[in-house]
Amino acid sequence: MKELRQILKKEFTHIFRDRITLFLVLAIPIMLVLLFGFTISTDIHHATISVLDLSNDSQSKALVDKITASGYFEVVSYPKSEQEIDNDFKDKNIKLAIIIPSAFEEQLTNEKFVTIQIISDVSDMNVASILNNYVKAILNDFTNDFNGTATMPIELCTQMMYNPEANSVYMFVPGIITLIMIIVTALMSSITLAREVETGTMRMLLIAPVNKAWVVVGKVIPYMILSFISTITIIVISVLVFKMPIKGSVWLLLAVCIVFMLTSASFGTAISSLVKTQIDAMMITMMGLFLPTALLSGFLFPIDNMPYFFQVLANIFPGKWFIIAIKDVMLKGSGFFDIWLYMLILFAMAAILMTVSLIRLDKRR
Amino acid sequence: MPTISVQDLKKSYGHIQALKGVSFDVEEGEIFGVVGPDGAGKSTLFNILTTLLLPDSGTATVLGRDLFKEYLEIRKSIGYLPGTFSLYPDLTVEENLIFFATMYQSSIRENMSIIKPIWKQLMPFKKRPAGKLSGGMKQKLALCCALIHKPTLLFLDEPTTGVDPVSRKEFWEILGTIKTQGITVVVSTPYMDEATLCDRIALLQEGEFIRMDTPANIISSFKGELVTLRTDDIFKLLRKMADCTLNCTFYPYGENLHVIFYDPITTALPAFEEFLRQNDIIYNNLTQIAPTIEDCFIEVASSSGS
Amino acid sequence: MKVRLPFRPQQAIDTPYSIQVEGLTKRFGEFTAVNHISFEVKKGEIFGFLGANGAGKTTAIRMLCSLLQPTEGKAMIAGYDLATQPKLIKRHIGYMSQKFSLYDDLTIFENMQLFGTIYGIPRKELKDRIFSRLEDLHLADKSKTLVASIPLGWKQKLAFATAMLHRPDIVFLDEPTSGVDPIVRREFWNLIYEAASHGVTIFVTTHYMDEAEYCGRISIMSHGELKLIGTPTELKEQMQVDSIEKVFVKYVVR
Repeated sequence: MKELRQILKKEFTHIFRDRITLFLVLAIPIMLVLLFGFTISTDIHHATISVLDLSNDSQSKALVDKITASGYFEVVSYPKSEQEIDNDFKDKNIKLAIIIPSAFEEQLTNEKFVTIQIISDVSDMNVASILNNYVKAILNDFTNDFNGTATMPIELCTQMMYNPEANSVYMFVPGIITLIMIIVTALMSSITLAREVETGTMRMLLIAPVNKAWVVVGKVIPYMILSFISTITIIVISVLVFKMPIKGSVWLLLAVCIVFMLTSASFGTAISSLVKTQIDAMMITMMGLFLPTALLSGFLFPIDNMPYFFQVLANIFPGKWFIIAIKDVMLKGSGFFDIWLYMLILFAMAAILMTVSLIRLDKRR
Repeated sequence: MPTISVQDLKKSYGHIQALKGVSFDVEEGEIFGVVGPDGAGKSTLFNILTTLLLPDSGTATVLGRDLFKEYLEIRKSIGYLPGTFSLYPDLTVEENLIFFATMYQSSIRENMSIIKPIWKQLMPFKKRPAGKLSGGMKQKLALCCALIHKPTLLFLDEPTTGVDPVSRKEFWEILGTIKTQGITVVVSTPYMDEATLCDRIALLQEGEFIRMDTPANIISSFKGELVTLRTDDIFKLLRKMADCTLNCTFYPYGENLHVIFYDPITTALPAFEEFLRQNDIIYNNLTQIAPTIEDCFIEVASSSGS
Repeated sequence: MKVRLPFRPQQAIDTPYSIQVEGLTKRFGEFTAVNHISFEVKKGEIFGFLGANGAGKTTAIRMLCSLLQPTEGKAMIAGYDLATQPKLIKRHIGYMSQKFSLYDDLTIFENMQLFGTIYGIPRKELKDRIFSRLEDLHLADKSKTLVASIPLGWKQKLAFATAMLHRPDIVFLDEPTSGVDPIVRREFWNLIYEAASHGVTIFVTTHYMDEAEYCGRISIMSHGELKLIGTPTELKEQMQVDSIEKVFVKYVVR
């Protein structure tokens, strides 16, 4: 154990002496969350919309007034038909159109059930999704005013254009956590292991009678700790600044993160056992792990919409399973028994890759 | 039983044969020198003997243990100083030493007696990052790290390449004290003058040992007669020598020209003097001398090569 | 695209010296790497620049090649002023070092073509020069060989030929023969002699003391200072020893 402690100490010395890398590793997650968070959730005031009011009665006018009074929306056009709405999207660049059905007041009073249609421009899905939520909130408020009950007589029927599978704005937090963990654990451990090969120090370690598992574990743990700090930073910022919900257990969430860090670190060591230079380690980690994770894990593009081949391919990247797991914990409030399979998959990947890299490392060529 | 025993070791990289079958023994307590230019196969040989690389064929025992089956045992008792600087440049001198001591389940205090003469010279730079040491100091630190676990066999791969003459001299003095502690040393070098400091040397060229013996025996087996002379314009002389029809090899040696005659000196020397006179070469100090290891290498390499 | 250095019709000052250095100094913070060194090198001279590791040789060479700004002092290199005409200096010098010489993943011809083009040699002319040099070295048939696959000795000879392609007035050789075998080292020195006989000034560093004897004059640097300059014979007489190695050891140890 003394050797492991010494390896850890050495690794931390490398980290603390390389101030620039340390700063980047700790600062980038914060910058990324704030960047994503603020660019997505703010600046949606006075979004331009169209209202097709087919009933034109006092209640429908009251609803439109309430929508404009919220400050989120600005009605730029009152089209006469659905055809005109289409033109508004193209010519007036509206973000949203609301269609109030005929006999709105009558239905509201007699049937206690009205369907309002919203058409959104989902070419920017995050904006669309936020605007939808605003409308929902306003309608909810409106019904409360109308009959003083909490039930919602107005049913909202949303039809999303351009991107029917719009994802939640909360997608970005799991996505950032995934990418940061890949950078800090996989990328950093593969680069620093390759650095030992490049400077020849790996050779010195190999001929020393020290357990090779400790060399790898000692290399990986410091970066897992750094990555864990980044992850907690991201979660804290998302909860405090962006009101990200954590419906499930925080401990379970952290446990999933630790398992993913292991997987990610194992990818890093496996990559470094294949290469001889830092540049190769970096290129393979970025091109072979980081980019596919960003593109295929469902963070930027929904997996269900991908061609079949890519849907299958997505399974071999750990990011997909991790994102599903933390999304379930954070947003759905899933417990361990809902997500144990994902954790097992991640753990199995880690175990296989770690074994492979240890064998390759100790092999004489 | 010899400390190292090697039979017919071969190693190729693709179609390049780095080692073409070398066999030798290293006796306990000797300094064994592997002398040869860059690319001759020195590093390959060292990587195999230090259990980092597997040969294509051949057998070897190191410290009485089989190189293939018992390599983990071998690793515990050998020290290795690789040809390229292989310590952590961002760690200080002291941190590097502590780190490698721990990797060998040892500590600085435990084996201070072995490294003391070197460590004394390093003490003033204890807190300096290893990457910022001068070439000579780097090698001394690397030697400390290789010795810190008290190995019985030490491999030094070109420890003095690119190191200035003063530091080289100091380094060899240290090797002498290491030898007195009963540690067997296998050292490679491209500097021929260092070869005489070894107990036995092997001249390695293009993956083969072209000669292996004590320096004295190698010098006494020199084939040919060596003469030296001095002239003001050595380049002019070299150009003229190209037309010389005598059976000889010639090359500048410091400020002198060395000529190896393969014919008896009694006939060759007068003929050579005649040649110099014909070409109006002003020279002095034309004498026959005993060869150095460098002369021997040139003699052996030029007769085995072209 | 042709890469050319900006050309200004500036005349080099005509002197018998190709290097004149006066009080050249470089400080890094508190540390003085090179401390007021002064010397001259004549045209066509082979000048050996010796010194212990860390004595300041590399810093001095970097300044002379105008890669590093001196803290103090003046120097004329190939007739140009180091302070005001660094671009012209670069054009008239060649440089080769043990650490970097040629690109391993390019062929011999590609390497020479690359460096020749950087120095603005016209394409046709360059090709002729490359092949005539390769023929001198008996390597013309190897022009398409990757540098990675040729022995170190050849590599160093080729690197020298490459550094000479643009016909510089001075070549700086930084440990050109480190690790090369005794025969090839001598072949390399033959090339140096030949270049010098054509009037090229050679400025060379080495750790082989026998090579120091091949130099016309040598200097030994120690702790950033340069106080010992002379022909090998002069230095040996001055220090009362019989070899340059002993001169070196005696001077540097003090």
